[in-house]
Amino acid sequence: MSTDSPTSAMTQLLSALSLDGKRPIESRQVNSETSNAGWLELPDDSELMEQVFVKLEAVGFRVGRRLAERFAPVNRRLVDTLDIVKFVCKDIWMLLFNRQIDNLKTNHRGIYVLQDNKFKWFLRMSGNSGGAAAARHAQPYIWLPCGIIRGILDSFGVSTVVVAETLGLPQCTFQIKVVSDE
Amino acid sequence: MSATTYYFAIVGSADSPLYEADFGVQRTENKHLHQFVVHAALDLVEDALFANTACYLKAVDSYNDWIVSAYVTPSNVRLMLLHEVKSEEAIRSFFVDCHELFVKTLMNPFYDPSTPIQSQAFDTKVHSLAKKYLL
Repeated sequence: MSTDSPTSAMTQLLSALSLDGKRPIESRQVNSETSNAGWLELPDDSELMEQVFVKLEAVGFRVGRRLAERFAPVNRRLVDTLDIVKFVCKDIWMLLFNRQIDNLKTNHRGIYVLQDNKFKWFLRMSGNSGGAAAARHAQPYIWLPCGIIRGILDSFGVSTVVVAETLGLPQCTFQIKVVSDE
Repeated sequence: MSATTYYFAIVGSADSPLYEADFGVQRTENKHLHQFVVHAALDLVEDALFANTACYLKAVDSYNDWIVSAYVTPSNVRLMLLHEVKSEEAIRSFFVDCHELFVKTLMNPFYDPSTPIQSQAFDTKVHSLAKKYLL
């Protein structure tokens, strides 16, 4: 997507999701002439961010379901959960970001950790106030892939919870926890 | 007397019916029986899935002289065909093309994968595929 700046992309996203009309986002924006020039100060309201998370993740879920049906291999069916996760790491990541996941770890008991050291969407991001704040600002961008991964696994019948964290741009880690519904 | 009849059904991943169609000559007293036989064969499709990792499962069940063939997509959507003549290659091509059609339907963001497919265009295309491969 053509980014004028993370500022405009984020404002457009938040207003497009039309969250909570009572508190218009504009009133919380930091004026671009101040010291945080070019970087939107995300509202610290965790309830708002929770809503953004839910919506983004749901969009990712629907996208993931369609991706799985469209790009799943036709000649061999994936039976193992590990095979499905490997399919995500290699084929899906290659389709979406033109590279593969760098590191996959599993405890063979339903937990998979996917590590991407140069996450494509983080490559051009940097913040004025240093690494930790920038990582926090970049959180919403990581929620969409979480939903995509969950959608893909769900369309193969594996229900999971996917969380993501970033310890420093451009690295990010996705953790998949298989939820058995017993 | 060899009037060929076919009954085609698509069953979703949560076992909800998505689409059904009949091709060929219909003997009216058998329509409901077609539906019954095909849906009863769904259990056998699950059994076959355990043994076979391919998508096209060929013939999974037979009832008198009707054969039920199945094709399972990666997201567990079953395409079932009830037929009288055994022509595996033609049926395989039919299933593959129907799967592509289904994927196109799925790409529509307004389509909920657990609801019946009501698009007239889909219906027309399936009938033309049947004419191409089966009839």
